Amino acid sequence: MQSRFLTYLFRRVLQAVPLLLLVVVITFLLVHAAPGDPVDVLSGQMETAPEYREQLRREFGLDRPLYVQLGRYVAKVTSLDLGYSLRYRVDVFDLIMSRLPATLLLMGTSLVLSSAIGILLGAFAARHPYSAADNAATLVALAGYSMPVFWLGQLLLLLFALNLGWFPTQGMASLRAPAEGWGRAFDIAHHLALPALTYSVYNLTLIFRLTRARMQETLAEDYITTARAKGVSEGAVVFRHALRNALLPVVTVIGLTFGFMLAGSVLTETVFAWPGLGRLMYEAIMARDYPILMGLFIFISSLVIVANVITDVIYALIDPRVVYK
Amino acid sequence: MIRKTLATVGLVAAFGLAVPAPAAAQPQRGGTLIIGLEGEPGSLVAHLATDTAALMVASNMLSTLFTLNFDFEPVPDLAEKWTQSADGRTYTFQLVRNAKWHDGKPVTARDVEFTFNEVIAKVHPRAASWWPNVEYAKAIDDYTFEIKLKEPYAPFLTVLGYTLGSGTMMLPKHVYQGTDPKTNPANAAPIGSGPFKFKEWVKGSHVELVRNDAYYKPGKPYLDRIIVRFLPDAAARLLAFERGEVDFLHWYIVPHDRVKDLRKDPRFQIVEKGGEAAATNEYLLFNLRNQHLKDVRVRRAIAYALDRSVIQDISLFGEGKPARSFVNSGLRWIFEPSYDVYDGDAKKDLATANKLLDEAGFARGADGTRFSLRVFWASGRDYEGRAAEVIRDQLKQAGIDVKIQVFDRPTFIDRVFRQWDFDLANQLFTTGPDPTISVTPRYHTNQIKKQPFVNGMGYSNPALDKLFDAEFKIVDRKQRADMWRQIQKILMEDLPAVPLFEIPVVNAVSSKFKDVITDPQGYVQSREDAYMVK
Repeated sequence: MQSRFLTYLFRRVLQAVPLLLLVVVITFLLVHAAPGDPVDVLSGQMETAPEYREQLRREFGLDRPLYVQLGRYVAKVTSLDLGYSLRYRVDVFDLIMSRLPATLLLMGTSLVLSSAIGILLGAFAARHPYSAADNAATLVALAGYSMPVFWLGQLLLLLFALNLGWFPTQGMASLRAPAEGWGRAFDIAHHLALPALTYSVYNLTLIFRLTRARMQETLAEDYITTARAKGVSEGAVVFRHALRNALLPVVTVIGLTFGFMLAGSVLTETVFAWPGLGRLMYEAIMARDYPILMGLFIFISSLVIVANVITDVIYALIDPRVVYK
Repeated sequence: MIRKTLATVGLVAAFGLAVPAPAAAQPQRGGTLIIGLEGEPGSLVAHLATDTAALMVASNMLSTLFTLNFDFEPVPDLAEKWTQSADGRTYTFQLVRNAKWHDGKPVTARDVEFTFNEVIAKVHPRAASWWPNVEYAKAIDDYTFEIKLKEPYAPFLTVLGYTLGSGTMMLPKHVYQGTDPKTNPANAAPIGSGPFKFKEWVKGSHVELVRNDAYYKPGKPYLDRIIVRFLPDAAARLLAFERGEVDFLHWYIVPHDRVKDLRKDPRFQIVEKGGEAAATNEYLLFNLRNQHLKDVRVRRAIAYALDRSVIQDISLFGEGKPARSFVNSGLRWIFEPSYDVYDGDAKKDLATANKLLDEAGFARGADGTRFSLRVFWASGRDYEGRAAEVIRDQLKQAGIDVKIQVFDRPTFIDRVFRQWDFDLANQLFTTGPDPTISVTPRYHTNQIKKQPFVNGMGYSNPALDKLFDAEFKIVDRKQRADMWRQIQKILMEDLPAVPLFEIPVVNAVSSKFKDVITDPQGYVQSREDAYMVK
């Protein structure tokens, strides 16, 4: 059983390699097809001599034909080297790693928050379909689902930061009077609240609606009727019999949203000046910093693949019927 | 009281006078100034790029030879005295003797010599625009430094004082010697001789600087710390300022629609100076390759049809003023508004516009339209978008159909300055600190190049080129000013662009701080004079 699963895992990882290569080639071409020139940003805001621009181009290999640049890049990536940022002139991998913790903190908090609340609310709503509470929750969910993240973020800022003054508006920690130890942890949590909330809303509503729909279907199944007829307590019916079955597609969706969340962090992190990967990507796009952009795409693609594998594993844990070959 | 002080500041800014600030309380030691920036710089030094964000941090750590006052005269920094030879070619600087690098070693003329010859000349993006005219730059002894030019160059001291454009901030020879000045790790953790020392750079978040207790100017600086935060979202950035999380937003990032409210709020002050060195105008650029726009009558007709007071009022929410020439009014010694004949009585102007367009042979079609033009703008400066809409409405009345297209900035630059694929474009140009540096490159025939912010319009006038080629060799300031008035006259007649409005200098500063801005490069200057009042 165990060895079978490991073989499966190995095969999945192997399959990911050509997929990643394809991602590298396509994103490389796309990124370079976008108009704009990194040399503009590198030299600053004023006009510069063409000789200087040529020199910069040579220095970064941007003077070579695109297929040569692509070949060099693929060769580098296969030896696990993501190259140097044009703008910061530091290693791209180090740059990504330095920004990862902030994004993981924000993403992790939101993922836990939105999954827990979404599933519980969904189960509750399915248990009392078309009640006033269910209707209200559905309405709010619909609004939350369709609200642009940056707009929601600014509304939350206006209400909770400016009018009520409960939360700070920008960044990850107070800089005027930096705290230590537990004070620092509290300070970060304080800064985290609004961005995490903003970031959670979309996922929360997605998970809520999916759980509610699946739970409603499941609760109508014959085995639920049977369980109730056997005299199983209502709590056990809902949580042990129904929810466990209803959750399977929910887990898939949570796994899938992982990739979207990484990409979606651009907006939230920009609004709240959160020092994570989303900001890094936004700035790299504006500066046409190709190595950072490429590095981020590869990194995110890898994480999405890993997230999919993890989703499969969780799947097997929840559903004993799932067997990997 | 605050209103009164503001009015005084406004007056000083408006007339460019170097009036000392009204007697204020004695500056006090202590406090942290938090500066909000819209983006993160690529490095923290001045020699790698002409980059506002980098300069705003670097100017606090690195010293210059001298700074500039509001009359664009040098003010001592590392150089305490200087002389110019009679032929105008040799400049000799005496350096202060008590300056030390942040690592404790003394600052000498050898460092200055090294910075000029080995760093700025070789690496700075704009060195090619002035360095070829330098015959030599050398240390005469430990505290004397000399530069000799091949030909007299009137704006030379202004170039050296204008650090954003020339990158002339001094670096330690012992740190940079034998290394590549582009990749030296000190570029991200500078060792300077300025009022503040580097502490840390948390990527994506902020840079922290601390007071340099060994600074060579006695008593300075006053602040204990400076923190520069990177806050990319405009609305959230302003919220952070209003909540007191940030103390200073420079004039590029203060939203004009909020200036009125901020002025009324006693917690804040709007400082209307510190942008004179940039002296920035907004323009409507013409592509002179366009079959309609290549006719000067069409360009003049457009200038007549536009009501720039309305454009300025709507675009900037009443801040700033219409631009009346191809140099900004901040350059008082040459600014000449009288050649602007296009903005009189709106009705009469529209009649003139229609007449000119008829004469040019572009009669109105059945639907009242003569021809169509596209106007481009780049997202980021909202006022350019608002201006585009007013322009569309105003030109419609003259029978010109205008379509607005917006791009992200790199794409905009590509379309306008490299592909030359545009009709009209909203773009700002600096005109200071010296017009030779900032005006000539936009309109000289030899600047028709596929490069950002030069003559993308494709405009050429040999008579004007001749003036451009002669004026910077004239050392006599009056004579030079006369030539610059002639240049403005020709430009206002030929109209390679329409000067729309002057970008208002409105820095937002917390009322807790004083003297945050003290010179014409106020947005990028060092904060050694800034102090906290409570």
